Amino acid sequence: MKKIILLILAMSPLAVALGQTPAPTSSPQPSSASVASDVEILREQVHALTETVKSLQQQVKDQQAALEKANITGSPALPENTPSPASTTASAATESKSATPPPLIPTQDSSVVASNKPAAAGPAPAGIDANGAALPGSIPTTDNSVVSSSNETPVTSSAGSSLTAPITIGGGKNYMNISFDGMFALAYSSDPHLDRVEVGDHDPQQRGFNARNIELAFDGAVDPYFEGFANIVFKLDNDNNTDVEVEEAFLQTTSLPFNLQLKAGQFFAAFGRINPTHPHTWDFADAPLVAGRLLGPDGLRGVGAQISWTLPVPWYSQIMVAMQNGRGGTAYSFRNPGDDGIFFDRRTTDREIRGLQDFVWLPRWENSVDLSPTQVVLAGVSGAFGSNDTGPNTRTQIYGVDLLYKWKSAKAEGGFPFVKWQTEAMYRRFEAGHGMDDLFPVAETFHDWGIYSQVVWGFKKGWVAGVRGDYLHMTDSEFTSDFERQTRSRISANLTWYPTEFSKIRLQYNHDFFEENFFLAGRDVDSVFLQFEFILGAHGAHKF
Amino acid sequence: MPTNFNMKKYLLVSLTLLFGILSAQAKLNVVATLPDFGSLAREVGGDLVTVSVMAKPTEDPHFVDARPSFVVQLRTADALIEGGAELEIGWLPPLLQNARNPRIEAGKPGRIVASQGIRLMNVPASATRAAGDVHALGNPHFMTDPIIAKAVAQHIAQAFGEIDPANKATYESNYKKFEAAINAKLQEWGTAMLPFKGQSIVASHDPWPYFAHRYGINIDTFLEPKPGIPPSPSHLAEVIAQMKAQKMKAIIVEPFHDRKIAERVASATGAKVVDFAQYPGAFPNTDTYIKLQDLLIARLSAALK
Repeated sequence: MKKIILLILAMSPLAVALGQTPAPTSSPQPSSASVASDVEILREQVHALTETVKSLQQQVKDQQAALEKANITGSPALPENTPSPASTTASAATESKSATPPPLIPTQDSSVVASNKPAAAGPAPAGIDANGAALPGSIPTTDNSVVSSSNETPVTSSAGSSLTAPITIGGGKNYMNISFDGMFALAYSSDPHLDRVEVGDHDPQQRGFNARNIELAFDGAVDPYFEGFANIVFKLDNDNNTDVEVEEAFLQTTSLPFNLQLKAGQFFAAFGRINPTHPHTWDFADAPLVAGRLLGPDGLRGVGAQISWTLPVPWYSQIMVAMQNGRGGTAYSFRNPGDDGIFFDRRTTDREIRGLQDFVWLPRWENSVDLSPTQVVLAGVSGAFGSNDTGPNTRTQIYGVDLLYKWKSAKAEGGFPFVKWQTEAMYRRFEAGHGMDDLFPVAETFHDWGIYSQVVWGFKKGWVAGVRGDYLHMTDSEFTSDFERQTRSRISANLTWYPTEFSKIRLQYNHDFFEENFFLAGRDVDSVFLQFEFILGAHGAHKF
Repeated sequence: MPTNFNMKKYLLVSLTLLFGILSAQAKLNVVATLPDFGSLAREVGGDLVTVSVMAKPTEDPHFVDARPSFVVQLRTADALIEGGAELEIGWLPPLLQNARNPRIEAGKPGRIVASQGIRLMNVPASATRAAGDVHALGNPHFMTDPIIAKAVAQHIAQAFGEIDPANKATYESNYKKFEAAINAKLQEWGTAMLPFKGQSIVASHDPWPYFAHRYGINIDTFLEPKPGIPPSPSHLAEVIAQMKAQKMKAIIVEPFHDRKIAERVASATGAKVVDFAQYPGAFPNTDTYIKLQDLLIARLSAALK
């Protein structure tokens, strides 16, 4: 044991000394004459090192004794334990080129691997952790308390979640990933009331500049059992007042058995493709009509809980069921009191939960297969069922289907080139009652539905072109004049440039057709948006 | 009683199925994020493991799609081998969130982070993205150095031995074989590269500092002005001038980089474009780590002659 340590101690400075021997300058291949002088130099160095080793020997003995006293076993003294030059940094190592005795190339390099102690030579496999603190493997991690002199990189897993040590981000240390996303748009529309043309709350809402989605995102491991996420969104309204939304804040289990996962808090309903994603990941500058009008301008989200189960089948298949309070503007088609207590022209009841039927229930089943190594298909069906506030017992049901196809080149650079086709269709059955105190003269049932389909083509690194078609059909009613109930369609085309994955500039053109209904005239609207975005902080991973 | 008989038959069938599944699971199910880790896992695991690899050898390792089928692979994995050090940060985290597999949680023996114990090169003094898409923890493309590959293989062998103690000795001896093979090959590769020590070559991007360090060549000139930033005409003009001044003879290009730009620069300077790759399988007959290194050394030394 001691012999091994001594051997390592003797070898590591030697190896480094060899590495640091000044190479014959300007000549990559030493001549035989210079080899002789090199040997002389080396001999002197070896002599000097022998002296060093002798002094280190004593130190090691002392440390051994101390270790035994402290009852620490199985952890051999690392070479880095001594003030030996073995703890050279990688940058120093780069300077040590062309120093190996030709024609041999070393097969060990202590400057790149923390320790090259062979597995068999180790007294015991280094500390197998009870709590994930120590590393597995006979490549012992450098013990930071022992390695004091070196300025080497802390070797941390990017996803590492030790309880005691903060994870490393951006060269600093932190317990969570933090990022900031600013998304802005310069807009022009032939309709002065862009807020009545655009259906999403994060879409451009007025001519001129818009700052509808300025977002702080946090995520990280809470402890060994949970991961936490939060998205706080700041939104400037058309009078430049700041609205703050807790868009999402939830925790999620990491290790439930039977492929189950629980999620609880405020979160987007897993309904289709657009709804659960944040606007800055969208391929267009605005929300599809059907999502904005049936699920709501802010998306369908709320406080609740979700359980999901990945089925034990050879392809990806997941079933999710969530329940949410389903109250307020973020549960638009459900217990939503509406603006000034009016929804679809009815004075709303704004009632409290009476039973399970007043929650929004959200089942979803999604499946995915790889058609080929470069092609993936993901298809899902979703539902949202609950009460609405237009009567004492009025109900809403929304059904959705979604399909995503993606091709990406096997030689993709930065994720390009690719083609992505995404389609969603939704149907809403909405029982509009008599309103509060039966004041509204008629009860109606709306059968509203819509579809959008979009193709985006990343044709060159950083460049994406897209087209989208939208159609939204709203039941024409002689009693409900709400402008949001106008049947309409839209075509959009855009071009996006991503200078890097942290910024983007997008130019988009929309043409909207509004169909005439009982109350409203038909009309056409043209809009142009120039969207720009930047992201600071942690590298946001891309979900599929 | 026919019902009873059917019941028994059903039980028998399901037991057989169950046994079949269990015996299939007797092999370690290993998932590797990238093909180089996959190759090492096969070397170390031999017949005792089944290895599946997520990224394709020809694609940019930082921009792999987090496709749902990977969740299926991770869900049943006994071990996951990842590079760490932000190598897969753009796509692995959401997959792991969805995998629900306690065996590959951070800190478990089944979670093998290859960069652990490796001294990473080119750690930026300060992480600013004004310098392009830099890696705050250092360059994560350490597998281009065979000595580091050995260390990673040893790490893998140790982890396999811990997950599957019954076969610990086999993993160790497989690792020893791999180590010996690399040691022998290193003499070959080192000898082949020796005449070119100190020479400078050009690369389209910078995953090569470990490779350059190992063979004593300089790969400090890049077609990209900054990591992840596409080449601009003015930058290419500078590169061409520099290549002419230093008489650089080779431009190494990975499968996912634009070969045309390299060809243009090559024709302006008389240098050769050399097809390089970090990942086994990127070229025909390079399905193992050693075969790929063989090809890289052969190609580069031929171009530099």
